[in-house]
Amino acid sequence: MGLFCFRKTSRRRGGLLKKLLLPRFHPAAFAVLAAFSCAGGPSRAQSATHSSTEPPASREVVDETGRSIRIPQSVRRIVSLAPSLTETIYALGLQDRLVGDTDQCDYPADAQKKTKVGGGINPSVEVIASLHPDLVLVTKSYNRPDTVHSLEELGIASYATDPHTVADILSSVKTLANVLGVPDTGAFVAEDMQHRLDDLQNRIGDLPPKRVLFVVWTQPLISTGQHTFLADALRHAGAVSIVNSSQDWPQVNLEEVAKLQPDYLVFAESHSGDASREVEKLGTLPAWKILHAVRDRRYAVISDAVNRPAPRIVSAIEELARQLHPDAFTEKSGDTKRKTEKKNPLSRSLAFAPVPWRPPHWARSHTSVTGAC
Amino acid sequence: MRPLTFRKLFFQCFILAVILFFVVIIALKFGAVPVSLYALGRDLLRVLLGQSSQISSDYGLIIQNIRFPRIILAIIVGASLSVAGTSFQALLRNPLADPYVLGVSSGAALGAILGLIAEPHLNLSPAFGALLTPLFAFVGAAATITVVYFLGRRQGQIESTTLLLGGVITASFLSAVIVFLMSTVNSSNTRGMVFWLMGNLSTSFQKSVYWFLAGGFLLATAVIYACANDLNILLSGEKEAMHLGVDVRRVRFVVYVAASLLTGLAVSVSGAVGYVGLIVPHIMRLIFGSDHRTLLPTAALGGAIALVIADTLARIVVAPNELAVGAVTAVVGAPLFIYLLRRRVA
Repeated sequence: MGLFCFRKTSRRRGGLLKKLLLPRFHPAAFAVLAAFSCAGGPSRAQSATHSSTEPPASREVVDETGRSIRIPQSVRRIVSLAPSLTETIYALGLQDRLVGDTDQCDYPADAQKKTKVGGGINPSVEVIASLHPDLVLVTKSYNRPDTVHSLEELGIASYATDPHTVADILSSVKTLANVLGVPDTGAFVAEDMQHRLDDLQNRIGDLPPKRVLFVVWTQPLISTGQHTFLADALRHAGAVSIVNSSQDWPQVNLEEVAKLQPDYLVFAESHSGDASREVEKLGTLPAWKILHAVRDRRYAVISDAVNRPAPRIVSAIEELARQLHPDAFTEKSGDTKRKTEKKNPLSRSLAFAPVPWRPPHWARSHTSVTGAC
Repeated sequence: MRPLTFRKLFFQCFILAVILFFVVIIALKFGAVPVSLYALGRDLLRVLLGQSSQISSDYGLIIQNIRFPRIILAIIVGASLSVAGTSFQALLRNPLADPYVLGVSSGAALGAILGLIAEPHLNLSPAFGALLTPLFAFVGAAATITVVYFLGRRQGQIESTTLLLGGVITASFLSAVIVFLMSTVNSSNTRGMVFWLMGNLSTSFQKSVYWFLAGGFLLATAVIYACANDLNILLSGEKEAMHLGVDVRRVRFVVYVAASLLTGLAVSVSGAVGYVGLIVPHIMRLIFGSDHRTLLPTAALGGAIALVIADTLARIVVAPNELAVGAVTAVVGAPLFIYLLRRRVA
């Protein structure tokens, strides 16, 4: 690389010299001059980088797992290794800085067009390195420590988030925004999330929570534990999981469920299969038939976003609250809006606020949102 | 060979059956929902008298629809694996042979995973949709058995070593395919797929599936039992057996198919539950001797007892959560096997 610049400079300057000096000078002298100009080339380039850019080239930040990492003053190239982080980047309006993400990063649709570095569990470190990221974003619960270690060995900084509650997700978004140099957008997004959660709380806060079974997998039955952000999201939606486990993804005994008889089964929309058919299927099995929720087809289906600790989780919480407590949402003006939302739950891409969201002026310089100018 | 008296066989089986009965009662009592033995006895009596509508509590329904079917499943799967293990050990004349040694479990796991991937894309009725995965698992097991059989054949004969190696290689090939599938499909599905790699009896099936399993078990076991004498002679060596007038080729083929069928049935409803088919036959051989006419029925009962106990532990050790029963059998089975192995050597 260095050699390449070096020759390029010399040729250009040599050409200039030729025009001016060639008639008088001997080729040997020309060679000396050329050598001189070459020597000048790189030293000039060096001084240029010194004088033009930021005073200290990097800064130190501490991530949510307590690791301190060195990152450049302004992070321009980001690789995300989790769908939730990709969504957060888009929510912060930094999608142009996102140079790579994982196979699972499917939201918003634009994220699918980014360079893929493989799966979140088994990304290709080579592809990540070839993207020359300033920072790789990981989550502690989803990615493997091995990935972080191999990135470390290559001198690539990685920042880990580790949210366990919905409040953690909000603060995580804010902190990440600070690290990425867009604190105002971060505060805006977090405030908006908080606002919507508060609004929800006003509507359903006084109602008794519905007892639900969150179904991750049916045979064997896998649900979610008490200490996950998912369980916390259920609480925000006016639901309480009947599963009391300290494990994150416990295999639950169906007898226990039959004893506790949840009011609702809650499914997250998955890419394979839809929940209504799943419930019909369960209705044919002797062990599941004795659940009143299965017999009466009481179940709620919410967006897959509930599995992702990103700003969009608030939409999933709202969806669940509407299905579990429909009465709390009947009055008020929001009726027409709700109808359109039900038709296409994915259309709420970046519209966090009830009003169509426009990136604030500080964000516009980084984003290419159409019509922003 | 010592003559087999009906009384002796009956006596041995009776003892084991009584043990199995008590184990089942204990398994019925323990679980996430507490029931008293009195209520259990009363409900049992009512079911026997054909008054199942009078079952008292909500818990009666839980026992009837969840716990009891599960115990039945444990009995059938345990007995199948144990009989299959006994047969393979005799057939291959190798004490290390177990029902999975021929790659059947990997075939079933691959079939099940393909079923899980395909199910949402096929427009099936709910009842059939619930059946699809075990069905695919069984087809996978059967296909693997066929492939391994042809791999193990040389000049029209099954050769033990070739068959074993063919099975091991097929298993590792299929595992590779499984890993490939699991790393390409959407990540939320892998949680359920892992189930097929580690045995689990928590799955609920329609009633017909239990009848089908029981029928398949009785049929295959009867076929193997009909060959019990030939298996005894086979233990002294192939040539000797041939000289004594045993049609070794036919016996091998029949027992191989029947034992594989048992394994396929078991694995298609429970995933791969290890060690039951390996250890129970050894223990039964130590207690009752290696005459297959007594060994086969006692191994069946012993396997049922072992798996019911293991599954009860899986249910109650970390209640209200569950363990995979395959983990329990492996934790108990591996040290036990080492012990039996050392004892034999000494």
